[in-house]
Amino acid sequence: MPILSFLNPGFLWALPVASIPLLLHLLSRRKLPEVPFPMTTFLRALEPREIRRIRLREILLLILRTLALLLLVFAFARPALTPADAVTHAAVAVGLLLDDSESMAAIEEHGHARIAEAKARASALIEASRAGDVIAVAYATRGEAPARERGDDRVRLRRALERVDAAPRPARIAASLASLRRSLERSPLSAREIYVVSDFQRSNWDADARAEIGRAAAAGTRVYLVPVAAVNLPNHAFEAIDPDVRPGPEGRGLELRARLVNHADAPSDRIAIRLRDGDALIGGGDVSLRAGERRWAAMPMEPRRGGDSSAASTHVTAEMDADALPTDDVWYGVLGPPRRLRVLRIVEARGGSPPRFAALALDPTGTGATGFAVQDESPAALLTLNRARADVVLLEDVAALSGDAETRLRAFLRDGGGLVVALGPHSDPDYYGRRLFPGMIDLSLQSAEQAGQGGGLELRARIAAHPILEGLTVAVGAPLSQARLTGLVRGAVTSPRAEVVVQTSGGLPVVVAAPRVAVFLSSLADDWGELPYSGAYVPLVRGLVSHAARAESSAPAELVVGLPPRARLESAPAGAIRVRGPADYVSAATVESEGTGYRAVALDAAQAPGFYEFDADGRPLATVAVNLDPIESDLAAIPADSIRAAAATSQRVTLLESAAALQRHLRASRRGEELWLPLLLAGALLLVGELLLASATKLRA
Amino acid sequence: MSDDRARLLDPHFVSKLARLDLRARLVVEGFLTGLHRSPYHGFSVEFAEHRQYMPGDPLRHLDWKVLAKSDRKYLKQYQEETNLRAHLLVDTSASMGYGSRGISKLDYARQLAASLAYLVLGQHDAVGLFAFAAGRGEQIPARSTMGHMRPLLLLLDRIRPAGGTDFTASLHALAERITRRGLVVILSDLLDEPEKIKQAIHHFRHRRHEVLVFHILDPQEVAFDFEREAVYVDVEGGERVSTRPRELRDDYRARVREWRERLRSICIEKRADYVALTTDIPYDRALLEYLGKRSRLL
Repeated sequence: MPILSFLNPGFLWALPVASIPLLLHLLSRRKLPEVPFPMTTFLRALEPREIRRIRLREILLLILRTLALLLLVFAFARPALTPADAVTHAAVAVGLLLDDSESMAAIEEHGHARIAEAKARASALIEASRAGDVIAVAYATRGEAPARERGDDRVRLRRALERVDAAPRPARIAASLASLRRSLERSPLSAREIYVVSDFQRSNWDADARAEIGRAAAAGTRVYLVPVAAVNLPNHAFEAIDPDVRPGPEGRGLELRARLVNHADAPSDRIAIRLRDGDALIGGGDVSLRAGERRWAAMPMEPRRGGDSSAASTHVTAEMDADALPTDDVWYGVLGPPRRLRVLRIVEARGGSPPRFAALALDPTGTGATGFAVQDESPAALLTLNRARADVVLLEDVAALSGDAETRLRAFLRDGGGLVVALGPHSDPDYYGRRLFPGMIDLSLQSAEQAGQGGGLELRARIAAHPILEGLTVAVGAPLSQARLTGLVRGAVTSPRAEVVVQTSGGLPVVVAAPRVAVFLSSLADDWGELPYSGAYVPLVRGLVSHAARAESSAPAELVVGLPPRARLESAPAGAIRVRGPADYVSAATVESEGTGYRAVALDAAQAPGFYEFDADGRPLATVAVNLDPIESDLAAIPADSIRAAAATSQRVTLLESAAALQRHLRASRRGEELWLPLLLAGALLLVGELLLASATKLRA
Repeated sequence: MSDDRARLLDPHFVSKLARLDLRARLVVEGFLTGLHRSPYHGFSVEFAEHRQYMPGDPLRHLDWKVLAKSDRKYLKQYQEETNLRAHLLVDTSASMGYGSRGISKLDYARQLAASLAYLVLGQHDAVGLFAFAAGRGEQIPARSTMGHMRPLLLLLDRIRPAGGTDFTASLHALAERITRRGLVVILSDLLDEPEKIKQAIHHFRHRRHEVLVFHILDPQEVAFDFEREAVYVDVEGGERVSTRPRELRDDYRARVREWRERLRSICIEKRADYVALTTDIPYDRALLEYLGKRSRLL
């Protein structure tokens, strides 16, 4: 049962005004003149009918006038109806979770950033607070204890809100919600509300976040979800830069690889990329991405130091055309000196020279100009294998390895080396599957299989965006080339850590990749098909080797804003380490050993993207690039139905889809549903009716 | 009719004259003068013819003027012998005292009665007067001498509106009292039950009297042109009715019309003459009606 209250009760003192029509009516009747008239008998004969009509009209007019005045007085008193369980009459503990993550800097179609809309909604909530209300404000990127403010200190709350801007950090929704919920549960006020003002980005709103909503509702807190993202905005962004720079095509210049993503339902054509070293433009190119595509793109680069392979690292800033979220259109990278990948190709001599298709694909001229330097050796060379000698080992159609060779190979991998295994007719599937692969790659092997007479195994891309296929422009499921295999070793991945990058049209894995390991389940020679003669062969072989040579992630998770910068040092520094970075960042750092070197970790988290320099006593030690977490680049929100589903789990969870819905809710819950307008209109209608009735009486007379 | 004569017949003008006898004379003379010049001939307005004096005739009937002029003795042939006896019945009930435009119905009836009496006596007819109201009445028997005007005028001058209009009992008593056949002229607003009025007229007619009814009303009683809402108080019974005239006017007028038609029908049924008058109608109409009635009777 709704409760009626008055927001301007002082006007109720004017209620006696409604008695004026009655008083005037009574006064007018008392003052009637007396007229002597002999024929009153005739009047009396007419009276019952006429007088009834007259009195009825008089009564109706009296009612209309009195009602109209009553309604007008009530309208000015501002009556309001509130649900019986509303918080109108009680102080309420309000928790406001404001999403200030990087994605909130996105510019909506109306030209305003999402954070501006979020701040406006938060301001409306603060304005609606009353004396006694307690407001706790939490920010999604901090996940810390929320600030606690009194509800009557709206000025300070508003000022704090004005200083808020989108932070270059991802949202930590679950942690922030948990902190806010616990904070409200400690409040002595029984009425509790949580308002979540966010763009409900799907990368942030995981199962943990939704579970926190449910916990808050279960604890008796009313939760209001306030989405501020109007539409799913298209956005393209950088995700990584390969720190290894290799010589460019044909050995000319250098080539930088960057991973790009197109978070959109439409393709992005000719995205212009610019590479800068400070203010100097050192390279770039155009990249086209299909809808939703994520891939590595190579673009030419000429460092300022003239491309000298022995030069120190290059600090490159990659930029692309700004779009809805400008902050992810810049990426910082510290590139090492260009180097050739040293490939130790292990082959077995079986009477005559082994085929050199793979070697020629990597280094056709034998000069290393392509960035690959290939050295052919027998399996015995593995006994002296170390990182000083090679970067990648390519086992090509080797039957099996000795125990010592295998041991050395594993140590080589542990030291950062890479391994490419190309099977072939002479490979022992049992050895590879049972002895060599375990611990390297989760791949089991069965027997070799031959294609039927006249048939062939078509190669199709399964993970088209995989770096192994970087040199190929293929779509998922598309054939790599017209060339077919005539044989392969049947295998199967045994865990998600191993990825099937290429498979046959029948679903048999052909290329399986794991960190630092790539396996080609067929032959890189022409004994199992004509692949070496196809245009896909060279990019594929180079892709296999490049993948094996690459670190596990080109963008270490720790080098993002919000986390302390880290740097790898070859030797222990002498003296205290200091870290300096953008936005006047200065921090000390600790040093810990890591493998054969050391790792320096700053004490303070990076607050902005850019280059962070580690030095000790003024001597530069290392420079690292810190970037924004790419998780915020996908601006798509979780589907509205998912939000509603979260709201539908409990009657205490409500979706306020628009600013108007929020205003209505605040009005209804704080002040009640105001009735002054319908009362005013009703009063005006009654006055119009009175006017018409009175005029009709005069016209009739 | 000239303006002067029209004025003499206008009730409002006449009412301003102080003396009733003067007023009566002026009205009648004005009327007669106009009548001579009107197409309404045929009324005998002279005195009855003389006959020569024979010894033994009463000297009081001697026409001394003729004797003075012609030295001949002639006797006036009075109407009493050959003409009618008119009985003027004037309603003096309280309702007759109502007047909305300066002249009440009783004033109008009074003046009309005086004029009629003058006219009657001038024609050597006999005229009597009966002023009545509920439960009372004053009577002057019919005489035909001009000197009879004086007591008639005195009574007419003296009567005042009072009492109710339930006069039918008085009329019935009067009908019994008047033995000789004559003309009964009723001057009243007839604010009584039509059936009682019908019975009273019937009584007179049963006695072989001719009846002439002058139904006198005030113009406001017919038109009900009031504007303001007011409490209308009955002048006889004190009954009070609060109403808005605008709302009732049309229906009221219709009812008054119906009522008058009902009375007219009653008179026609009883072979009486009915004349509807309002106090703003000049007296000549009433006098003309009287003369017409007289001529039909003789």
